[in-house]
Amino acid sequence: MSRTRFFLSNEFGLVLLIAVFAAIFGLAATGFLSPFNLFTLGRNAAVNIMIGLSMMSVIVTGGLNLAIGAMGVSAAMFAGWLIEGVGVPWPLALAGGLACGAGLGFINGATVVRSGLHSFIITLATMSIFFGVMIFLTRAESYRDLPAVFSDFGRMKFAGYVSPLLLVTLATALVLAWLYRRTVTGREMLAAGAQPGAAELSGIRVGRMVILCHMLSGVLAAMAALMLVARNGAAIPSMAGQLGQDWLLLAFLGPVLGGTLLQGGKVSVLGTVLGAFLVTMLQSGLLMLQIGAFWVQTFLGLMLLIAVLLDKARRAYLARRNLA
Amino acid sequence: MSRISQLSRTDWFGPLLATLLAILVVRGFSETFLSPYNIQILLLAIAVNALIAFSQMVIIAIGQMNLSVGAIGGLAAITFAGAMEVWGLPAPLAVMLALGVGAACGAMNGALIRITGISAFVITLATLSIFKGINLGLTEAQPFYGIPEGVKAFGNATILGIVPLIFVPTLLVSIALWYMLRRLPVGRFILAVGSNEHAAELSGISVTATVVIVHVLSGVIAAIAGILLVARLEIGQPSIGDDWLILSFAAPVIGGAVLAGGHVSVSATLLGVVIVAVITQALVLFSIDPFLVQVVLGAMILAAVGLNRLRAHQPVSGAG
Amino acid sequence: MMTDHPLFEAQGIEKAFPGVRALKGVDITLAGGSIHALLGENGAGKSTLIKIITGVHQPTAGTLRVDGEAVRFAGTRDAIARGIGVVHQERNLFPRFSVAENIHLEQIGASYFKPIDYAELNRKARQWLEPLELDVDPAMPVSELSVAKMQLVEIAKALSLQSRVLLLDEPTASLTASETDRLFAILRRLRDAGTSLLFVSHKLEEVQEICDRVTVLRDGENACDSRAMAGVTRGDLVEMMIGRAESAASGRRRAADGAPEMLGLQKVATELGHRDIDLSVRAGEIVGLYGLVGAGRTELAKAILGKFAITGGETRVAGEAVRIGSVAEAIHRHGIGYVSEDRKSEGLILQHSVLSNAGIPVWRRLAGAMGLLGDGKVRDAVLPYLEKLEVKTPSLAQSAGNLSGGNQQKISVAKWLAAGVRILIVDEPSVGIDIKTKAYLHDLLRDLADGGTAVLIITSDMPEMIALADRIAVMDGYTITGVVGNTGSYPEMSRRIMDLIHGPDAAARTA
Repeated sequence: MSRTRFFLSNEFGLVLLIAVFAAIFGLAATGFLSPFNLFTLGRNAAVNIMIGLSMMSVIVTGGLNLAIGAMGVSAAMFAGWLIEGVGVPWPLALAGGLACGAGLGFINGATVVRSGLHSFIITLATMSIFFGVMIFLTRAESYRDLPAVFSDFGRMKFAGYVSPLLLVTLATALVLAWLYRRTVTGREMLAAGAQPGAAELSGIRVGRMVILCHMLSGVLAAMAALMLVARNGAAIPSMAGQLGQDWLLLAFLGPVLGGTLLQGGKVSVLGTVLGAFLVTMLQSGLLMLQIGAFWVQTFLGLMLLIAVLLDKARRAYLARRNLA
Repeated sequence: MSRISQLSRTDWFGPLLATLLAILVVRGFSETFLSPYNIQILLLAIAVNALIAFSQMVIIAIGQMNLSVGAIGGLAAITFAGAMEVWGLPAPLAVMLALGVGAACGAMNGALIRITGISAFVITLATLSIFKGINLGLTEAQPFYGIPEGVKAFGNATILGIVPLIFVPTLLVSIALWYMLRRLPVGRFILAVGSNEHAAELSGISVTATVVIVHVLSGVIAAIAGILLVARLEIGQPSIGDDWLILSFAAPVIGGAVLAGGHVSVSATLLGVVIVAVITQALVLFSIDPFLVQVVLGAMILAAVGLNRLRAHQPVSGAG
Repeated sequence: MMTDHPLFEAQGIEKAFPGVRALKGVDITLAGGSIHALLGENGAGKSTLIKIITGVHQPTAGTLRVDGEAVRFAGTRDAIARGIGVVHQERNLFPRFSVAENIHLEQIGASYFKPIDYAELNRKARQWLEPLELDVDPAMPVSELSVAKMQLVEIAKALSLQSRVLLLDEPTASLTASETDRLFAILRRLRDAGTSLLFVSHKLEEVQEICDRVTVLRDGENACDSRAMAGVTRGDLVEMMIGRAESAASGRRRAADGAPEMLGLQKVATELGHRDIDLSVRAGEIVGLYGLVGAGRTELAKAILGKFAITGGETRVAGEAVRIGSVAEAIHRHGIGYVSEDRKSEGLILQHSVLSNAGIPVWRRLAGAMGLLGDGKVRDAVLPYLEKLEVKTPSLAQSAGNLSGGNQQKISVAKWLAAGVRILIVDEPSVGIDIKTKAYLHDLLRDLADGGTAVLIITSDMPEMIALADRIAVMDGYTITGVVGNTGSYPEMSRRIMDLIHGPDAAARTA
């Protein structure tokens, strides 16, 4: 029975899909498995996975965070300003950027808790506010004179093709997995997200947990944006698109493909990592197959649709077999 | 006294006061605010934004959300422009085609939501991406320039030199929606499903049919907004719709719509659009940084949901 | 006036859900011009039977007959079409719609695009409101009506559908005494007009007052099938419901007089409107809090827990005056546990594992440095209690939602045992659990009290109250109207409690 469960698990399905698509792209697209492409793939995956983890940490509460892009870019621009505008050494500026992400997350979380409204409408509004303030303060100008350490880090390769950015992301994912499985705070986040009423009456400070989840999301979004800074060698206000909306689909694809329930209370860190990686690989492979950059978005949308349908079928099957 | 308390309980009274106040304040600071030219600009903005808001409002009425309104509007816009430029279709036929595309997109949303039982949020996030991708795939992000003169003229004509002609379709849609939500069974079903889906089902209402109808309606209204924008901008921009998401939620919410469903108001939503337009216009008139418009819009949404919540907490007099 | 020819019959109805046989061959026969009582304890199968009669569920076996003709209801629509109307316990109205529209929504459905003639609708609605003596403007939104009037609107709605069989599920649960009297007058008139009414209630006084026939379910079977009410005593009904004579359940009174007070409330007022609450629970004592729905009992429990603010008076825990600012504080600092009546949304986290659910209150205490906490530690802490309570689960990793109601309730109690609370508040201990588990739970609560825990029980089930409590505090209108010592005699306790709720004092209070 436990073996059946393993083969029916989301994570196993994702690994299978990744293997299948890697084989297809490797055969059909020349250069897909070249060290350079694997390096770029890993570097892109590092950012995309981080974005997915950022969304996942809020989905835990049964809410969502539309402001991920706006928060990430704001935090990265703040770090850029600390370096160029204030002259702070870069490690401090990084810490400042992460703190900015946590602060913006706190604003989201506290507003959600205090108002009692769904995080959808709150983060829709703060997305507009954060991005607007950031653009207003930066005059939409980039910070391009960053210390070389950023672009060096972005270009660095281990063993020929592993980007250190990917290692940072994987380490973060490990920490998150440990948080949810092995710490009281992580468990309480899950309990508060699954059934706030029951969690509160069992002695969990639900409001505090929701705020913490949003802060975590802010920090992870800041990390994703800072990685983009390392990749681009500059902090650019438009790096997540208008209002940071370009991150939105990516942010949901990872967790949803990975089997994180949108109702909250259950997470799969490994699933999110695999899901976001699969998406990155598909993007890269489709581009190399000359599908046309513009159709990739349609493809990702279809994939989200198919993924949720498959997941639903899988759950229905498990429920019927009484395995879940 | 009781007359006033009665008024204060209608949906549109609060937003109307806010609108008048906003207009008075802006007028107080700016002589030119109510000049015919400015009014025309205001009405132009309202004409399109009201449709965007209605497109979301009908979905809010059943307690769902539609992230794909912008993508549907954009796809309809380029269908309209492309059909005229590439296929040389006459404008009325192109309009029908674009409306058909909007209806089909909406039907797809509604059907997927009902058949799969997956939340509207996830489904419309996926279809947003699909519709936008089709848009970009077809246009390769290049605009259609071949808009017939007649369409351009329609987009820029005015009645009596003040009211833009494209305001007329918006007005007709507003009246039709108001009538539907007040008098037609389908409108009442929409509100009933939004208010209590289980009870609606027990009352013999087909929830599936209602949900699909409302999504088709949302798609058609978004398509009209896209078509009007093409006429006004005089080109078929693939980027039409990219910035609709916040606009679409702002006006209904500022007008007091309850996101949980079952309670929306056409007049209040329209007033919400007017408030947003007046304030946006004021920021321009006072030469305040255009970047701050986003901030103000976001802040207004937060303020409005806060106010709605306060209002909901006040006990209804006469009950119990 | 009662016709011999039955309007509706159900024979040999069986219903199985995964893992549970809710109904094991139940019969019921409803005649026109009759008010028929359907009785049974929680979990006896009442609600399942109602759902089958109204077409929500389809029976696994057995036949339904309307006018002697066998029918199958594929859904609620079929049942409605056959003239079976129902007024559910929860309100199914649209608050913003007018009275007339709520009544006639069904008929409007014929066409999606034909404009509604509201004048005509109001006129038609009056025709259904008049027989119910409901003097309201049909154009008025339902949200402006009182709960009692909303219920009458639902009855009007059911009647407008040409219902000949009308099910009323706990219709008096949220009504005052005078509203109940009015409702009964209307029900009698409907009966005299030939309607067949099925009255579901757990208030035996009401059932005996208004019903002429009775069907009792116990454990998914008929304890009696559609027999005449005449000659049936209250004791007979109770015996049929619980399967034994009532006296056997009489509580023994603990001598806790000398024990220290664990929970004390003096002149307590809350933000929810409680006032002058005096209540005291000693170590080793079980105090019952009795009252009707809406009396403010659950709300008081939550205020004690710190979920709602206490605005006046003094709260004492173990003799010390305290101000409890949050539920977490109540649990972790003061050792107060609360078992909710609403297991699904307030008691358990159904999608999480048994282990996780049983361990929540002890997580903080077990955690090591940096908040580290492994499953092993939690298992060691809670397993003895899960075993002691005989929780039946395939594994500790099983989702709590997959267990039966009785096992879920055991987990809800076990988690507080593991947490070692000094004060345990149990809200409706036997909601949705079978009779065997109920008896077991009762023993457990008595043992718990004997072990020194102060227990406060909230229940609307009088036999349960008498079986468990040492003293019974009666609550009505957000205040405590009196405290009576439990003598174990049902008639006496019942009379004294009802006096405290409906007595002359009560009338003066509500006036």
